[in-house]
Amino acid sequence: MAKADPKQYVGLAARSKEGPRLVTGQGRYTDDFTEPGMLQAVFLRSPHAHARILGVDAQAALSRSDVFAVVTPEDIKRDTKPFRPGRYAAGLKKPIAEYAGAVDKVRYVGEPVGAVAARDRSTAEDVLESIAVDYEILPANTDVHKAIAGEDASVIYDELGANLAWQGTLEYGDTEKAFREADRVVRENLKIHRYSSTPLEPLACIASYDRFSRKLTVRTNTQVPENIYDALRDALQIDDIRVIIPDIGGGFGQKIHLIRKYVVIVALLAVKSGRPVKWIEDRNEHMMAAGHACEQHFDVEAAVKNDGTVTGLRFKEIDDVGGSISTLTIHFTNKLNNLSNTYKVQNIRADGYSVVTNRCPVIPNRGIGKPGMCYIWERIIDRVAQDLDMDPSEVRFKNLVQPEQMPYTTPNGNIYDSGDYPGLLKRALEKVDYPALKEEQARERGKGRYLGIGVVIGVEPGGRNAARDMAIFPEMKETPGSGGINGATIKLEKNGTIALYLGSPNCGQAHETTTAQVAAGILGVSPDVISTTTPFDSDVAPWGVAAANSGNNFHLYDIGSIIGAATQLREKVLKVAGHILDAEPSDLEIADGVVTVPGFPRRRLTFAELGKAAYNNQSLLPEGIDAGLQTTFYYTFPHAQPNMVPGQDRRVRAQFTFGAGAHVAIVEVDPRTGKVDVLRYLIVGDNGTIINPGVVDGQIYGSAAHGIAVALGEGFVYDDEGQLLTITLTDYGKCSTAETPNVEVEHAPSPSAFTPLGQKAAGEGAAIPSPAAIASAVENALEPFGVKVRHLPLTPERVWQLIQEAQA
Amino acid sequence: MKQTVRVTVNGRLYEEEVEPRQLLSYFLRETIGLTGTHIGCIIGECGACTVQVNGTLVKSCLMFAVQANGKEITTIEGLAEGDALHPVQEAFINNYGFQCGYCTPGMIMAADSLLKKNPNPSEEEIREGLAGNLCMCTGYVQIVAAVKEAAGQVDNG
Repeated sequence: MAKADPKQYVGLAARSKEGPRLVTGQGRYTDDFTEPGMLQAVFLRSPHAHARILGVDAQAALSRSDVFAVVTPEDIKRDTKPFRPGRYAAGLKKPIAEYAGAVDKVRYVGEPVGAVAARDRSTAEDVLESIAVDYEILPANTDVHKAIAGEDASVIYDELGANLAWQGTLEYGDTEKAFREADRVVRENLKIHRYSSTPLEPLACIASYDRFSRKLTVRTNTQVPENIYDALRDALQIDDIRVIIPDIGGGFGQKIHLIRKYVVIVALLAVKSGRPVKWIEDRNEHMMAAGHACEQHFDVEAAVKNDGTVTGLRFKEIDDVGGSISTLTIHFTNKLNNLSNTYKVQNIRADGYSVVTNRCPVIPNRGIGKPGMCYIWERIIDRVAQDLDMDPSEVRFKNLVQPEQMPYTTPNGNIYDSGDYPGLLKRALEKVDYPALKEEQARERGKGRYLGIGVVIGVEPGGRNAARDMAIFPEMKETPGSGGINGATIKLEKNGTIALYLGSPNCGQAHETTTAQVAAGILGVSPDVISTTTPFDSDVAPWGVAAANSGNNFHLYDIGSIIGAATQLREKVLKVAGHILDAEPSDLEIADGVVTVPGFPRRRLTFAELGKAAYNNQSLLPEGIDAGLQTTFYYTFPHAQPNMVPGQDRRVRAQFTFGAGAHVAIVEVDPRTGKVDVLRYLIVGDNGTIINPGVVDGQIYGSAAHGIAVALGEGFVYDDEGQLLTITLTDYGKCSTAETPNVEVEHAPSPSAFTPLGQKAAGEGAAIPSPAAIASAVENALEPFGVKVRHLPLTPERVWQLIQEAQA
Repeated sequence: MKQTVRVTVNGRLYEEEVEPRQLLSYFLRETIGLTGTHIGCIIGECGACTVQVNGTLVKSCLMFAVQANGKEITTIEGLAEGDALHPVQEAFINNYGFQCGYCTPGMIMAADSLLKKNPNPSEEEIREGLAGNLCMCTGYVQIVAAVKEAAGQVDNG
């Protein structure tokens, strides 16, 4: 009996397939490519946060012989169509035309107003100076509370009549009853600021257009081919589009959404000039206009029993979505993914308010609304503990979903596949020796040294359901899709090697290494003979709605499709080999790329021999079989029902797998300066079955480091006029090796009951609970001062102020 | 008015006519086609374009090409000898000391330079030595581990 073992190489720290090219400078990023006759583009951007465009004079630029094309607001309006509102704007009930570039008005500093394509970048930059834009400056709106109070300084979208652009409610269970019957209600006001993962490679694009065949080709570093594909079709009304995605220098969500504006305008320059056009964003542009994670304000209240049981949660969320309606509700709807976190509470109500402001539009960023949702839960649980004079971990233990409840359906319809949340928390407390730590803390306080311990827990949802956002608007006419579909192609080549073709791009998550490990076990070859073809190419890749380096999709859809394609290829290999070896396919075995008939050592075929037969020698093929040894499989999550598409009850499987992690942050705060040092950071994590521990650990370290840095000070700062004050990485506060703490990881996997290997996600995870862990630890350190941590970030200045305020 | 630059990069002499305003990073990438040196900020903050000039660590966006006249430059493409990876490169692979790979060339050049000066650095010295190179992906844990592994293996001669 021939057995495939998809787990043969699972769990091994297999040698990185990407490594050799990336450590030698042979990675191929968008900026590394050139095309014949290629021009360079630069963008003209708004210097104002809010202004009406009265006129643009580009005559001087157009008259130069070294300028090949110019795009002005007039061109945008004439030559392009607005984008169709997608899933990120699910709450948009009134149609508002949003074009790739500003027309009529600018709504944030850095908004693209026009673009120039010239022979080289220096020329293009020089020419930009000659384009005159006549602006009527309007008052800037930077305070969401003014919008809520109906005190807009000016109206950003005339169509809306006010800057409060959306308001909606999601309610599950009976919160009124829960609060009526509560022993006490614990309230808090919380805030998370604007930040970004600032990928080191900025946005980049090369567009070329064959006007005679009407085919548009773009090479770009997007994380989601669909967004670019749809944007180009919508805006330019071109159907034949090829999206090529080479190596990407980091994504984190930053390269999903606003990048489409630039790709459309660069493509328009290519159409106008008849030349390939390259555009490479610079760092300041990225900081101003590539997108920020949303500033989120929360008023939270928990219905609590005196034994610490939380019976209800209500929160009001105000999102500063910036100067665009295209991501209006994304941070709110993403809270459906982890709405009840790890807790049993049955009654949850969320009131969402999305306010447009004259700041950079918000975009998906590592976890999107999920870090905010976890922050709500973990901060309010700490407050409940303080209110009841209980240990915060005790309150958590009291409310955690128990392992025997798995699979567990949450009030909003998520189904948690597996998990031992009490086990994770218990192990984390053991690892740091919590009682001894508390003693040390008390002892050190006596000496004037302020140590803080933060212990939090969070789920890590994985695998996006494309219908999630309809939960806030079930009557939405055009659904953005549902569930998830993505494919993979596997080919046994004539020399016996295996080529994989994935349906989605990779931006640093080692897809090539991991997929080879999985395919190798099924096919009976060493991972060494498997290679994955990059770049992604929409003309040949089997891609669907889940073809996204986003939503923690890889572990579900890409791994699922690799398993499907490899299994089908194995069946075909056995069929062809059985015919040639005159044996029943089910009697054959495969090992190290050789098919054998057990007991007959001379009846064997190597993969190379099979490959030659399948492609070259029709007489060797069984009748009725397609020639070739190539299979394509599209994976759809087999457990996506129930709740794939939300009904009027608004219950939806927002994501499909659920990992989790318990985090312990141990910090020291210097009350004289407000400086916070992270002395130790530990994660006990459940990422399901781990395919490659080196890869998964890297994802956890990186996401934790970002969440910690976000909590401790990195972030965007605007002045009241809407001018961004943090346009460099230094001003923004990016952490180097010197400021980033070492993160410790211990794995305690509960394999998923729903996935073929038991695998779960790993990319976003640690970024979700880590801001809450730091907030908790800093507050705990400053307990003797009576400090309450509500708002992030905790820069030294802010921490110092908190101490002063608490003492005043 | 273009100027002539004679510069040795990875052991090969290049003689090129360049604009005086051309940065060394663009000279390496665009004039002589070595795209392993990456650009992440162009103002010396991120370290992606780090190379070695006469053995000294330099962020190539902070130097004009004309300033490199007569100098010897090593870029990421010049580190491996023949088909054998440099020990620092090997250690980065062994420890998954990269994710997207964009900071990696600069990081490896900085690590190599650090280990040449200090073959057995402590964790603190490694962190200090690499503090000029930002990585947005890894949280630095596996990078530090890679440098620790490479320490002692690097030929200091």
